[in-house]
Amino acid sequence: MPVEAPNPDATPQPVSSDTPRVSPEVSLWELVFFFGLIGLTSFGGGLTAYIRRLAVTQKGWLTDEEFFSALAIVQILPGARVVGISIYIGNHLRGLLGAALALLSIMTPPFLLVCFLGLLYFHYGENSDSKALLAGVTAVACGLMASMVFEAGQKSIRGVFDVVMIIVTFLLVRLGHMHVQYVILLLAPIAIWWHRPRHEIKGDDLNQKGSPP
Amino acid sequence: MIQTFGHLVALFMILSISAFGGGKVVLPTLQHQAVDKFHWMTNQQFVDLFGISIIDGPSMMVVTLVGLKACLQYGYVIAILGALVATIAMFLPSSILVLIVGRYWDSWKTSPWHESIQRAMMPISTGLILAAAFIIARHSIHTIPTAIMGLIALCLMLFTKLNPVIMIIAAAAISWFFLR
Repeated sequence: MPVEAPNPDATPQPVSSDTPRVSPEVSLWELVFFFGLIGLTSFGGGLTAYIRRLAVTQKGWLTDEEFFSALAIVQILPGARVVGISIYIGNHLRGLLGAALALLSIMTPPFLLVCFLGLLYFHYGENSDSKALLAGVTAVACGLMASMVFEAGQKSIRGVFDVVMIIVTFLLVRLGHMHVQYVILLLAPIAIWWHRPRHEIKGDDLNQKGSPP
Repeated sequence: MIQTFGHLVALFMILSISAFGGGKVVLPTLQHQAVDKFHWMTNQQFVDLFGISIIDGPSMMVVTLVGLKACLQYGYVIAILGALVATIAMFLPSSILVLIVGRYWDSWKTSPWHESIQRAMMPISTGLILAAAFIIARHSIHTIPTAIMGLIALCLMLFTKLNPVIMIIAAAAISWFFLR
């Protein structure tokens, strides 16, 4: 089960260890093309499953276990999940250069598209046609945000404490106008302490759970 | 101009490492800074740009557009440079963090603290997303038709697997047709 740390140079070592896994040879061009395509087609999110299907199932670039290990890292770190996964895969396959190229290729297509739309907006945003059009766009954007609240709430609420944390966070930001970084610095230690591993009670249960699905 | 770049870098580097739970959680702070503190744009423009940005790419492409608008007064070329600076400042620090943590992950993965951190951070990001949703709602739902469209989008997101981009394009067409 040892999941290899991002260290693509480890392959030349003989297969004597317990993992017979060989990091596949992936050219940098292939990486650029792969993540560029994902960046191009990353409409509307929901990409994690898509990346897994392509990189794990189709290309065999990493095992399922490695993928979920990466996902577990990315989920507790700040930043967009898709970007984190891409960097992890890039680094896993081709080291630092691979990570940099993965980041660059996944970001370039949406960057260009969004810049283009932004310039269109500032050029034509004031006329009544685009105002009407944007009313619909922002209304849907609001619906999407609301759905994210539901999804995040469903995943995070497992007790009264979680509900209290949601409300306190909301009030600090909404009424206290506190910035995100300070909210996190203030609340994260409290919440982590609250959810601290309790060895004496159920340490064994936690250990048995192991890695996420 | 250099000063604007400096503000963008300082702001987005902090937001980058604060975005626990994805880019959406930094929206309230981003709105406050971009609108109230630096006066780069109005609230309406901020929400419009957010709507535009979710069409493609990872969450938080709105930072690209904030960078664009912040530098727009200096011309289109500088504006795109500003967009680039903002995007790099937002995505680089968190990416470096992934690499660093990824390196030491194996020894750390089995630690029960991993689950503690995950469970602790999720309600905080939920609260932040809730606050973000309020900001977007206040500047996007002003009339009954927009409220209906927002509600329909919410239901479609919750109960179907419809791609949100299709909804955005459809809503743009519908509202252009009816609200023009």
